Amino acid sequence: MGDALLCVRGLKVGFPTVDGVVKASNAVDLTIQAGETLALLGETGSGKTVLGMAILRLLQPNTRIEGEILYRGRDLLSLPQEEMQKIRGREIAVVLQNSGTSLNPVLRVGDQIAEAITLHRGLKGAEAEAAAVELLERVRIADPARMAREYPHRFSGGMRERALIALALACSPSFLIADEPTRGLDAVTKHEILALFSEINRGRSVLFITHDIEAAATLATRVAVMYAGEIVEIGPVDAVLSSPAHPYTRGLLESLPARGMRPIPGSAPSLIAPPSGCRFFPRCPCSVGRCETEHPGLVPVGPGHCARCMLYD
Amino acid sequence: MAFGISVTIMFVILHLMPGDYITLYLEGIYVIAPPEVVLAYNQAYGLDRPLIDQYFSYFLGVLQGDWGYSLSYSRPVLDVISEKLVWTLVILLPATILSIIAGIAIGAYSGWRRGSKADVTLLNGMIFLRAIPSYWLALMILLVFAFYLDLFPLGGYVSLSALDTGIDLLDVMNHAALPIFTLFFFSVTGTYYLMRNSMLMTAGEDYIVTARAKGLDDMTILRQHALKNAMLPMVTRVALQCAGMLTGSIFVETIFSWPGIGMLTFEALQVRDLPLLQGILLMDTLIVIVANIGADMIYPFVDPRVEVGSDARA
Ligand SMILES: Nc1ncnc2c1ncn2[C@@H]1O[C@H](COP(=O)(O)OP(=O)(O)O)[C@@H](O)[C@H]1O
Ligand code: SF4
Ligand SMILES: [Mg+2]
Repeated sequence: MGDALLCVRGLKVGFPTVDGVVKASNAVDLTIQAGETLALLGETGSGKTVLGMAILRLLQPNTRIEGEILYRGRDLLSLPQEEMQKIRGREIAVVLQNSGTSLNPVLRVGDQIAEAITLHRGLKGAEAEAAAVELLERVRIADPARMAREYPHRFSGGMRERALIALALACSPSFLIADEPTRGLDAVTKHEILALFSEINRGRSVLFITHDIEAAATLATRVAVMYAGEIVEIGPVDAVLSSPAHPYTRGLLESLPARGMRPIPGSAPSLIAPPSGCRFFPRCPCSVGRCETEHPGLVPVGPGHCARCMLYD
Repeated sequence: MAFGISVTIMFVILHLMPGDYITLYLEGIYVIAPPEVVLAYNQAYGLDRPLIDQYFSYFLGVLQGDWGYSLSYSRPVLDVISEKLVWTLVILLPATILSIIAGIAIGAYSGWRRGSKADVTLLNGMIFLRAIPSYWLALMILLVFAFYLDLFPLGGYVSLSALDTGIDLLDVMNHAALPIFTLFFFSVTGTYYLMRNSMLMTAGEDYIVTARAKGLDDMTILRQHALKNAMLPMVTRVALQCAGMLTGSIFVETIFSWPGIGMLTFEALQVRDLPLLQGILLMDTLIVIVANIGADMIYPFVDPRVEVGSDARA
């Protein structure tokens, strides 16, 4: 294992709403090594996007954030705004989760990419444009010179995803956050995008957010599983996917079509008033008495492999 | 098409009115109109012919630029209107342009900085301004700036000295300042609200997050990414505003004795000069229609999602 590039410590994120504070991250600890791809798995609403956005400080201004996010030893949460702007797009880039709406509809795709190039790499005009075309070519958009001059509505779903990836790669970031880049794509396109990622992930740290376990298995070196705002299991990809320790991870794997498609009964708990003990308790098939009242911590279950469950305490 | 329908509706309304307009008009002149005068008027205005005849000749006339004959001015309606229209445009154009620019600029800033001190102050100020009845505001402006402070003339469009020296641009602008100012206030709040709302929606869009994630600063995102998107709905708004301003100009022109279409409308109403009134309404309709066509033609150029010649708006 190399050095830690990003280190999240005790991250708590709360969204104030009329019904109460939505606690979308609850004391999340996460370390990403230089050059590794960490897949973040979990159902919709488990807090994956919030975690990714919190790293780049892209959450809405009234959000309550506690904890530390250390990037190369500097705490991003306490950086001044101008310093943060130098990191966004240049050091840490993101492929947002809704590719359909994440490109500006009234600007040419090439110009949107060139804008980042001009901002961080200082290339101007035709040079920046040429670099944008090169990037579109790199993400395998056919006829990149022509497509660079088109507006986003001319792009198909897969092409928008590629354009967003090109934009994220514009300044060769050391750390890439990709938020469900294969969601909503047909099988062929999905595989093309995954192939593209296995190429761009080389030599780069990546937080690959997905609810697609197969995608995680192909790309990741390590896997973290999120449930109701907490990381419930984390470890090397083979260990987590072949011998899952947490009952929730097991449930996720069993809900796969290949493994019998048995969905986990019940639904995710409210994040405004989550269960006081184990957050998975109401749905857990293996619960023991104290699961209801005691909140389990992450405990080691194997080499580099931890789970948040009473069964291993 | 729309214009043709307006012409027809106007014709029908005119003829649904109790009594004919000649009788009504003559009542203002004579106690009891002599029958030979009534007959002469009716013949002059073609009212002795069958209705359907009148309708077609009126319709064709309108299309050919013959909008009828004003009773009170004894001149062709179109002549009277176009002469007054110029004066209305003198105050309407600057007021519209200024209020659109100002409304868009402060509305955009206010919406972008939602909840900030600047936003709250601007919003409350606009709500206050909106709550003031417009004729009262106009009178107050007149009272304060023209009567008490004596900075501008009380009314009219030129000074008496124009009789000797001819019309002087500076003198006209001096007279136009207060009506423009009043009309500006009359319409800036609406533009502001719409722009602020539009900006609030835009600020929550995913592509704004993309722009932030690039590392752009707040004001660059506002200028490069938010403004153009938030302004798209304003294109149509501007067309509607033209219609609203014409209505607004009636009271502004009346209060400031400005010799434009608004004042003309007021006069025509007072003396029941129906052909003239009808012409004014037609002109209003025409302006609104032209403004809308203009907006539809401009739209494809500002929104790349709409192809030139297509009708679908995103
Ligand atoms: N701006 C917000 N205000 C209130 N709640 C939010 C906001 N953003 C996200 N949430 C809530 O936080 C939780 C986690 O959301 P998210 O991170 O988007 O989930 P995921 O990406 O895993 O599908 C969800 O319950 C969601 O409703
Ligand atoms: S702590 Fe208890 S309830 Fe929670 S996952 Fe483990 S066994 Fe299930
Ligand atoms: Mg998400």
